[in-house]
Parts: sequence; C-alpha cells; structure tokens
Amino acid sequence: MSLAAVTPAGFVRRRFRAWWQARLRRSATLLLTQRNIYILPTRAGLLFAATLVTLLIASINYQLNLGYVLTFLLAGSGAVSLQLTHNTLRGLTLHLKPVAPVFAGEAAVLEVVLSSPAGARHGIGLKIESGSGWALTWVDVPAGGQASARVSFVTAARGRHEVPTLSAETRFPLGLFRAWTVWRPAGEVLVYPAPERPPAPLPAARPVPGGTTHSRHLQGSDIEGIRAYRRGDPLKTIFWKKSAKAMQTGGELVSRDTSASAQQELWLDWRACASLPPEQRLSRLAAWVLAAERAHVNYGLTLPGVELPRGQGTVHRRDCLEALALWR
Amino acid sequence: MALNLAQRWRHLPRDSRDTLFLLGVIAWTVLPHVSHLPLWCTALTAVMLLWRTQLAVVNGPLPGRWWLLVVLILAAGLTLWTYRTLLGKEPGVTMAVALMALKTLELRARRDAFVVFFLGFFIILTHFLYSQSLPVAAMMLVSVWGLLTALVLAHMPVGQPGLRQAGLLAMRTALLGAPIMALLFVLFPRFGPLWGMPRDAGPSSGLSNSMRMGSVAEVALDDTVALRVRFRDRVPAPDALYFRGPVLTIFDGREWWPAPAAERSPSELGLQPLGRPLHYEMTLEPQRLSLLPLLETSVTAPVVENHRVSLREGLQWRTDRQPVERLRFDAEAYTAFRHAASATPAELRDALALPPEHNPRTLRWAADLRQQPQWAHADARALAGAVFAHIRSGGYSYTLAPGVYGETNGRAAIDEFWLDRKLGFCEHFAAAFVVVMRAMDVPARVVTGYQGTDWAPVDGFYIVRQSHAHAWAEYWQPGVGWVRADPTAAVAPDRVLRSRNLAPAPGMVAGAIGTMSPALLAELRTAWEATNNRWNQWVLNYARGQQLELLRNLGFAAPSWEDLTLLLIGVLSSLALAGAGWAWWDRRRVDPWVRQMDSLRQALRLLDIDAAPHEPARTMAQRVRERLGTAGEALVEMLHTLERQRYGRMAVRRPDTALTRRFRATARSLRRNRSAAPAV
Repeated sequence: MSLAAVTPAGFVRRRFRAWWQARLRRSATLLLTQRNIYILPTRAGLLFAATLVTLLIASINYQLNLGYVLTFLLAGSGAVSLQLTHNTLRGLTLHLKPVAPVFAGEAAVLEVVLSSPAGARHGIGLKIESGSGWALTWVDVPAGGQASARVSFVTAARGRHEVPTLSAETRFPLGLFRAWTVWRPAGEVLVYPAPERPPAPLPAARPVPGGTTHSRHLQGSDIEGIRAYRRGDPLKTIFWKKSAKAMQTGGELVSRDTSASAQQELWLDWRACASLPPEQRLSRLAAWVLAAERAHVNYGLTLPGVELPRGQGTVHRRDCLEALALWR
Repeated sequence: MALNLAQRWRHLPRDSRDTLFLLGVIAWTVLPHVSHLPLWCTALTAVMLLWRTQLAVVNGPLPGRWWLLVVLILAAGLTLWTYRTLLGKEPGVTMAVALMALKTLELRARRDAFVVFFLGFFIILTHFLYSQSLPVAAMMLVSVWGLLTALVLAHMPVGQPGLRQAGLLAMRTALLGAPIMALLFVLFPRFGPLWGMPRDAGPSSGLSNSMRMGSVAEVALDDTVALRVRFRDRVPAPDALYFRGPVLTIFDGREWWPAPAAERSPSELGLQPLGRPLHYEMTLEPQRLSLLPLLETSVTAPVVENHRVSLREGLQWRTDRQPVERLRFDAEAYTAFRHAASATPAELRDALALPPEHNPRTLRWAADLRQQPQWAHADARALAGAVFAHIRSGGYSYTLAPGVYGETNGRAAIDEFWLDRKLGFCEHFAAAFVVVMRAMDVPARVVTGYQGTDWAPVDGFYIVRQSHAHAWAEYWQPGVGWVRADPTAAVAPDRVLRSRNLAPAPGMVAGAIGTMSPALLAELRTAWEATNNRWNQWVLNYARGQQLELLRNLGFAAPSWEDLTLLLIGVLSSLALAGAGWAWWDRRRVDPWVRQMDSLRQALRLLDIDAAPHEPARTMAQRVRERLGTAGEALVEMLHTLERQRYGRMAVRRPDTALTRRFRATARSLRRNRSAAPAV
C-alpha cells in the first residue's frame, strides 16, 4: 500500500475519487462533450504565465512596444490553445471493444476505439484512471476516422470484473493545458484462476463408471485415439511423434489410447487435490485444463455443484475455465 | 550532395530530427546577438550548439551534470570578468544566451524542453532592447514561429509528424491568437517604467554635449534617422531648416562645452517671433541628450508624453529625462524671429572668453583685421560680414575629410585651419568664426544641431538624419540680440541652401546597385524608408497619446488610463461571455434530423401513436398505417419521403422544414376529424 493511501489526505482523495467515479454512469460508448471534459493548466502552463508576466514587466520597464507585441502574441496563442486543447477531445467518441478473458496475474488488454467525426486529433493519451504511474498510451485519430488504443491492467483475483475506469487526456497543441475526461466503460473482463506453476502432472484416468469391466487384453495395435500421458503408462504406448510435437509447444507426453484405456476417462476433479486450499485447487484445475487441452485429450471437470461433461476444443476449454473463474 | 542530405534528414530518427530543428531555431534566435556579445560567449555558444548537433546526429549520450556545472561556472566567471557584474542588460543577455546553449546539452525530458522554450521567448525580447526595427521584428517572428512549432512537435507523441504539419498547426494557433494580441496591444494601458532600470538603452550616436574637432564628422557619417518632420500647413524654405541643439559657449582650446544655462520662460528671454507660426509634427528617435532639437525657433513648449519640457538660456529646449524611446509630438516654430535684445553679463562674459596661449596667429589675424580703418569702428554685423567675405575669397574648401588639426601643436588647431590648410567642414568654420569674432571683442558662440532634411518627403515626412548634423555660430549684436551666422554657407552654400548633406560612403551592395542604376537605389531607399516609417508610426510609436486619442474617437470626453483599463476589461469580459454563450448554445445544439424526428414524434402523439426514439421513419409509417389505416395515408407518404430525403440516393444535407410543418398540420387536422367523429 502506498504512503498516500494511509495519510488522511490520501484517504480523502481516494474516497472522493471513489464517490466521484460512482456518480459516473457506465456506458459502452462515450461521446465527449463539454459536460464530461475537464481542463486545467499544466505546470508548464503556469510557468508560461509567469514568463508572460516577466515579459510584460520587461516591456513596460524598457518601454518596448515590440515587447508588448511579443507578450500579447504569446498570450493570445496561449488563450487559443485552451480552446484547441478542449477541441481535441470534444466531439470524440470512445468505444470499448469486448475484452478477452485473461488468467489472474496476466495483463488484460482493453481496446478502445476512438472515432472523430470532424477533424484530425493529435496526441490523445489513454490510461487506467486508478493506475499508478504515467504510462499513457498515445494515439492520433485521423479526420473523420477511427483509431484504437490499447491499455492494459492486471487483476489478481479470478472472477468477473467490471472494467476499470479509464481516462483520456491531451495537452495538444502547446502543452499549456491538460484536458481530460473520466470514463467508466460498460464492460466486463473475465479473469480465470492463475494456472498452477509449475503444473502438477495430470491425474490418472479412472475407469468408466458402469462401463464394461472385462478388460480386453489386446495388443496395443488396437489404437482408438491418443490421450495425455499418465503415470504408469508403459513406454511402448507413448506416441513419440506426437509427443515431440506437443512438447515443442510446451505440452506433455502423449500416449496411445488403446481401447483398453479408452474405457478410462480423464476427469479433472476438485476432490483429486484435496490437500490444497480452495484457490490453489482452482489453480491446479486450471493448469490441468490447459495441459489436457494441449495434449488433445477429452476431459471433464467436476467442481462441487458443477460438472462439465467430457469434451475438447476451444469452446470446452473456455467453458471449463469460466466455471473455474466463477465458481462460488 | 543536397539530395543526399535531404535523404539523411528524412531518415533521421524522430528524436534526432526534432532536436536538430530546435537547435536550428535556437541558433537563429541567438544570431542577432552576436554583434553585442563578447567573443567568448559567441564561441562558447557555437561550440555547445555544434556539440549538441553532433550528439543528435550520432544519437550519442548527453554529457554528465559535472560537465554542465563546469561550463556554467566558466560562463558565469567569464561574464563577471567581462562586465565586472552579473546584473544589468549586457551581462544578463550574455548569461541568458550561455544558459540557453547549456540547456540544450541537458535536453532530455519535456520539462527541459519547456525551459528552453521560455528562455527562447525571453531572449527574443532582449533583442528589442537593442533594436525594434522591421528586420529584427521579422527575424524574431520567425523565431517565435519556430519555437511554437517545436512546442507543437513535442505534443505530438505518435509517429513521425512532419515539420510542415507541425509548422502549420503552430501558425494556425498564432494566427487565431493574433486578434487577442491586437486587442491587447491597442488597449493595454501604457505606463511609465515601473522602476528605474539602468538607462543604457539609448543610442550610441547623435548630437553630443560637447564639440571637439572632428566629432561632428563622426555623427555626419552616420546615416541613421535622427528625426522626422511633417509640416501641417506649409513647408519652410530649405535654408530656414535649423534644428537647434546644444549651444556651446565654453571653449578650452580643444573642446567646446555648453555654459550652465538657467531655466527661463520664453517671456523672460524676450523672444520676438515674426510672421506666422509654422505647425509641424516631429517624431524624434532616441537621443543621447535630454534635449529636443526643435525647429528654430519655438516660443511655446511642445507637450511631450511622459516628459517635462523647459526652456533654458541659449534657447535650448531641455527635457527632464533622456528620450530613450521614440517621441512624437506637435510643435510650432517661427522661422523668422529676433532674440532678446538684452543678455545677462555672465552670458556675454562666457561668450567672449578665449583660452590663453591658444591660436596666437589667428588672434593676431583678427586683431589686424580690426585695426584696418574701415573696420575700426564697425559693429558686430559689419565685422561678421568682413569675416564672411574673407571665408568666401580666402581659398577655403569644404570637405568632410580634412585630416586632423592640431596634431603637432594642440594649441594651434584653429591657426592651422584658418591660416594654413583651409580645409574643413561646418564645425571648423563655426569654431574658427567664433574664435575670430571673440578676438575682435564680439561675443559669439557655437550652436550645434541639424540643418536641412532629405528633401523628398516620404509619405509626407521629411527625414532628418544624423548626417544632417551641423554646427553654426551666433554673435551678439548690441540692441538686436544674438544673430545667427552660418560660415559654412559662405564656403559651401549647397550644404545650407539645398540642404545637401554629405553622403556617407555607400556600403558594398548599395555601391553595386548605385553604379548600375542610381535611380533604382534611390527608389529602393525611398520605398524602404516609407515602410520603415509606417512601422514606426503604427507599431513603435503607439503610446498612451494614441491610446487616449482612440478613446476620444470612441466617444470618451476626457479619457484617462482608468478608462482604458475599464474598456479593456469590458471588451475581454464581453468576449468571455460571448464564448460562454456559444458554449451553452453548442451544448444544446442537436442534429437537425434528430430534432425533426422529435417534432414528428410529438405530432404522432396527438394521434395516440407512440414511437420510440430509436425507431426510424419507416417504422413510424407502419405504426400510422396500423392505427389509422387509409386515413393516415398522407402521413405515411410524408414519412416515406422523409426517409428518401435522408437516406435515399438524392439525400439532402438538411431536413425539409416545410415537410415538418405539413406533417404537423395534417396530424392536427386528423385529430380534429377524429374528435369530431363519433367514436367507432
């Protein structure tokens, strides 16, 4: 926790910001008007004002009419830059694209589309409002066109999160004023549990409940498919060619799924990792989902109150991870 | 080669390119100072800018802080060594330039860049301390543009924006700001200086408070403008154009000095103006002396803004402080006049004194003249006539380059001129004349000032240059008073009658043009003078007088600077109000198509048809048909038309207001019919 957060002023500021942001309505698209653009001079702007006063005093004291011209030209340009800075934001539309889910601890990327119905806009910076630091993503918007800016943030907790408040600002053209807006985009980001690292080996498959019990001890030639390697698989059942490929992409060994083992099913079960606290269990299950998916095997997921049937593929993977993310 | 450079420029990384551009702007901004700066500062600045340029090109690391500190201390030390102080104009400018160059070596973050910008604006201002001429203004305008462009570039963080684009954006900003500038310039009240500043802003040449042999020649070689005159009603004869400067009575053998002169009122001096006065307007360039070189002779003091003008003995119009800025005022002169017939004894005693053991041969020559029978009892006028006759016939020549007098014997300078070499110009003739007159017991004194003008008026203004500087004499005629005598007129009547000043040696370019076409040179010069004069009259001379005149024209009876302030505040606040009004209006501004749909929806509500805001005209038409059937056919037709107008192939930009009106009228009539008809 930063020092600012524990001082009374920091506390007040945080409370004020929270109150202020709670007032803002969430919207998928924000049209920037006079109502939601704020503008204040920057530190450089104040320094500029001080320079103008110095120039004016020098002009008066030395009775320099050209000094007056210079001072007033700069003052005029400064005053105009107030309007120009405001104009850079006014009329702009911000739109948030759907956010791709991420694993906890990874950066979620918000893609904001800025569109300008009128002229070109220069030097617009976007950032997460509550984010620390000054990392602004800069973007120019062409006349009558669109541009997109990506800002990212990291979320530690799994689950469905509202998109954080964003702010867009500009100091164009002279940097004397900073115009900014605060936007609470309507949008959610789904955060999966962080997969366990290093991943634990996949659990052993278990026999199909109620399936045929007599084991047909046929030779391994009777191949019905492939599955992830499990402890105890004989070496000869390992599908080396496929394994090499899988391991190249960070996967695991792949075994031939003989009809005998095909009778067994891979279930990623909450109960299988009973020794761990709940969040870590979810992490391990998430890691298993990824491993199973990499190994191209069918797998099912069991959580207290949730059971996802066996399956494979992107959709199945997403369903499983979503179940893990949203569990309880 | 050029192509190669252009290509390299295009392929420079953006950072390097922006830095090089800023360095170019800085070099351009500092450049006009080179003539005022000590050599070491110019060299230091050049070295640092070149160093930074090299670093930008090779993208090298910037020097450490220790380096900068060492150079800073070096610069401060050298400044202290050069000027013996760090305060004041010259050391200030020197330090500012050195700091600017140093800062470029530290140009990392945007904050540093801002410091460079602000220092840049400050340095631009310091140029005006030296010159506010049109070329300097043009040069500095380019500097402002360059600095603003660099500022805009710094705020376009994405990609590689072109310099041209940034330049245009900066120009747009400045042009939009120009009306504000004009308004403030016209209305901002002009005060006197807030506190005393070292008064080192005056000119380096011009009339001086003493005359040593050869000093007027220095002034006469200076072609700059001393003053401008515009005659209101009539133009006096050329040989009457004497602008009276310091009166030099005290002579120590080498140098002429003014006698202490008490303040006198015109009536005390007993001036007798003859004929009608001549009204004229004078624009006086900054002077070295606290004195107004008025046309001979003024009887009333002119009113000069911020100055108190008083008359001194010797008919000198003094001001209470040095006119370091350009002055514009109205005055009146009587070219025909008579001095007072009485003078104080001290005045006459001073005007008779001759330093002992100086110029013995001239004194003897004068005594011999006086001894001649026809002059033995002659009055001052007759004696002056005799000396004039001698000058005319004595083999004297007028030249601006007579060589140096009194080199071998400092006490015989006048002897050498009067009796031996006989070559000289106004100051030699005037000084010798006065010495001769004094030797004959006639009180006499030297008067300096300007004589004549450039005789072709440039847009109504006659120009008096430093090269019109002149020295003449006055002698005392009992019963009449001081009488002007211009011995130069006797030897070189052209100089006085046609007021032909001695042209200084032309510069190289002017020389080249002059040999090809003298007329072209004259024309160019005239055009330049006219532009320059307009610049002076409209920009540089704009002072409180003109401001108050403007207020008078606006209907203020007795304007003061408080009125000016109020007017400025009033105009600014009404502009701010107008801006706020526009913003309010702009906020409420709705797309006209949306407004039309709103209006149609309201009309439909009369017929109990509710249409949601997002529904298009076609859906509204459907609703109408469902509700009214054939009775609503007219409305349906209109809605379809509207749809075509907005989205069809021949779409128009603005909604058809006539259609809206017709739609509302139809809806109202349908409602009346419905309420009249019994419910079905």
